[in-house]
Amino acid sequence: MEIFSDLFFGLSVATSSPMLLATLLGVLLGLAIGVLPAMGPPAALAILLPIVVSFEPTVAVAGLAGVYYGAMYGGAVTSILLGIPGESAAMMTTLDGYPMAKNGEAGRALGIATFASFVGGFISILLFTAIAAPFAEFALRFGPIEMTALMVMTLIFSTSLGGEDRAKGFAALGLGLWLGTVGLDIVSGSPRFNFGTFELLEGIEFTVIAIGMYGVGEILASVNETAPKVARARYTLRALLPRISDMYKTWKDLIVGSVIGFVVGVLPGAGATAATIFSYSFSKKISRHPENFGKGAPEGIASPESANNSASYAAMIPLFTLGIPGSGTTAIMLGGLLMLGLQPGPLLFEQNPDFIWPVIGTFYTGNLMLVVLTILLTPILASLVFIPAAYLFPIVLGIVVYGVFSVNYSFFDLGMAMGFGLLGYLFRKFSYPSVPVLLGLVLGPILEQNVRRSLIMSNGDIGIFASSTISVVFLLLSASLLLLPMFKWAKARLKKAGV
Amino acid sequence: MRKSIFAVAMAACGLFATSAIAADYPERDVTLIVQSSPGGGSDIIARTIARIVNEGKLSSTQMLVENKPGGGGAIAYNYVAQRKGDPYVMGTIATSFFVAPLMGQSPAKVEDFQPIAVIAGDPFILVVEAKSGIATLDDIKAKKVLRIGNTGPVTDPALLAVSLGNELGIEVRPVPFNGDGEVTTALLGGHIDLQFGNASEVMAQIEAGRLNPIAVTSPERLASLPDVPTFKELGSDIELMLYRGVVMPKDMPAEAVAFWEDVMKKVSESDIWKTQYVERNNSVPLYWDADEFARRVPEISKLYADYLTTIQK
Repeated sequence: MEIFSDLFFGLSVATSSPMLLATLLGVLLGLAIGVLPAMGPPAALAILLPIVVSFEPTVAVAGLAGVYYGAMYGGAVTSILLGIPGESAAMMTTLDGYPMAKNGEAGRALGIATFASFVGGFISILLFTAIAAPFAEFALRFGPIEMTALMVMTLIFSTSLGGEDRAKGFAALGLGLWLGTVGLDIVSGSPRFNFGTFELLEGIEFTVIAIGMYGVGEILASVNETAPKVARARYTLRALLPRISDMYKTWKDLIVGSVIGFVVGVLPGAGATAATIFSYSFSKKISRHPENFGKGAPEGIASPESANNSASYAAMIPLFTLGIPGSGTTAIMLGGLLMLGLQPGPLLFEQNPDFIWPVIGTFYTGNLMLVVLTILLTPILASLVFIPAAYLFPIVLGIVVYGVFSVNYSFFDLGMAMGFGLLGYLFRKFSYPSVPVLLGLVLGPILEQNVRRSLIMSNGDIGIFASSTISVVFLLLSASLLLLPMFKWAKARLKKAGV
Repeated sequence: MRKSIFAVAMAACGLFATSAIAADYPERDVTLIVQSSPGGGSDIIARTIARIVNEGKLSSTQMLVENKPGGGGAIAYNYVAQRKGDPYVMGTIATSFFVAPLMGQSPAKVEDFQPIAVIAGDPFILVVEAKSGIATLDDIKAKKVLRIGNTGPVTDPALLAVSLGNELGIEVRPVPFNGDGEVTTALLGGHIDLQFGNASEVMAQIEAGRLNPIAVTSPERLASLPDVPTFKELGSDIELMLYRGVVMPKDMPAEAVAFWEDVMKKVSESDIWKTQYVERNNSVPLYWDADEFARRVPEISKLYADYLTTIQK
């Protein structure tokens, strides 16, 4: 088998000392970037790029890729410990990770996240090694029509995340969808809801809203609590350690997350975040105890964490097999490859096997390094919960301010983050769910753009959505998702009436 | 009172210093402001220019690169434009330099800058999917309705698509995407029919036989694609490139303009520029000095202004 000899060659180069060092530096930086709120992988890669261009291409790309998937591990830490999504792909992890940590099981939550990240990453790397090229060809079949149908399905799936009060859930989703429209309209080029400022022309950064609503909002809400919950006494050493039993308890969700992450992650413009939303909702749908989701369910951490790691490798497939970046982060990696004098294209695998296989090799070594590093760091990180709120909140606020400011060096962003903090506080006060806001913000623009692309292609004929098999399958699935509960309800009513 | 006398004296010194710029200019490091994020097209150019200037000691001080992305380029352009007369700041430009003020998105107009030099032009290649059965402009004409990808309504590919549709008398449906990569992906998947691709981005697909080139928008054929005709050769009026150059703020001392004009000429003639930028990105080597650049700015600006009035009808 040629693939084994290729992979063996790749692994042997990847375990040479300069490559190991580059991978280690990459994943360490990635971890740090992931932990820091606001500073996402694109920003980190952008900072690193001018430095690594002087390195040998394979070493440089090993480091750059390490930052990317390392950040997926790190993102979970902030989500779980502080309830602030460090970056968009970690947002679903806050849903169950933060409650679990608040229940006194921070170490357990981090353990589940780490293991899920490892499994998701590992399954994705195996799939990457085995089927990257044919899978990239499959992904090409996803055009605007298919993406529209996929997003419709994801949105319908995610309605289960709205919380108890449906009206409030939809109101929050509506707000998120509206926030997603701020900025230049991609079809007409005219600005929408920018209120005459050019700071809002490119839309509102996800991190500004997420950090504001979750980070600042949570702090404001906690400060307002006159009697802080004294849960601290229950913290024990055991609470700081991961539990092995959680790992086989969540096997179903690990597979769901890994597969959804791989499939959605490879699609152009969909990305890791959409994959985590889909995967989390799917896990909740198949769970026997969906009512535990959002209150610290292990499955609710395992599913999105395996999905975002899986997606981070899958997102690199179009770049390495076709030479086309599928996301903002991989676009910067493409810039890096160009600066290094490599022209990624469909011939990269054939013409540069001595580049591509060592890089794939470092995915294996990097993933192993990350699992060891994170497990070792877990008790230390989890001890953060011992810090009293009086000291922790100012520190977190400082990190938040630094994080938001560092993205664009903009006071405007900082002001907006504080504004969204106030909104987050009001949401908590009046028990509106914050998650649908972020869902709308992430999924809305993808859905809107693809609907409009499809309708431009067909000159307004809505029948275009029935012209593709993939689209029809997704739309039928969506319809059945909506109709099934109605049938059940109708059946129950009929039965009742019969009696 | 003493304070104000001191301030006046300082201001006088300042005036004196500006007029005496020629003596030992530049005395400080010069910052090149980039309107794209690291890794973007303009960023690669800026870093290549800075490398040539610094390694070749073309200036007695260092050239630093600073990214100011956001606002569709407006943030960087405004930053540069506001530093009137400051001979230690300059900026890279892209299509947004001309388009942003026309769209009312940037308070900095093209007249607020001192053009320095243009040192390359990036052409666009009209490409189709290899199995599409389209090989010439006549094949395109025979199609009547075509879907053409672009990277937004006020970009070069969108402008080119409208021109092509008007010339051939066919209906083009412009489908906007979030970047060249997404357009190429959609083209490879058969979701759209045509793309005006940046040469550096579609060349790998052409070499791999996945995309077929129909024609190029440069005035002459590309060295890397000698068999592909220009639009002009095919009897079309389409000719457009993404001009790569640098500008400085307005009210620049003539000495500073002359100095950087000369440095940019040396950059454009250097081996590093030819091999690391022009060849690698399939660009067209060219050099416009400050005067020629200044003469071309209103022409290019008018081209986009005319286009905007056609699409806003």
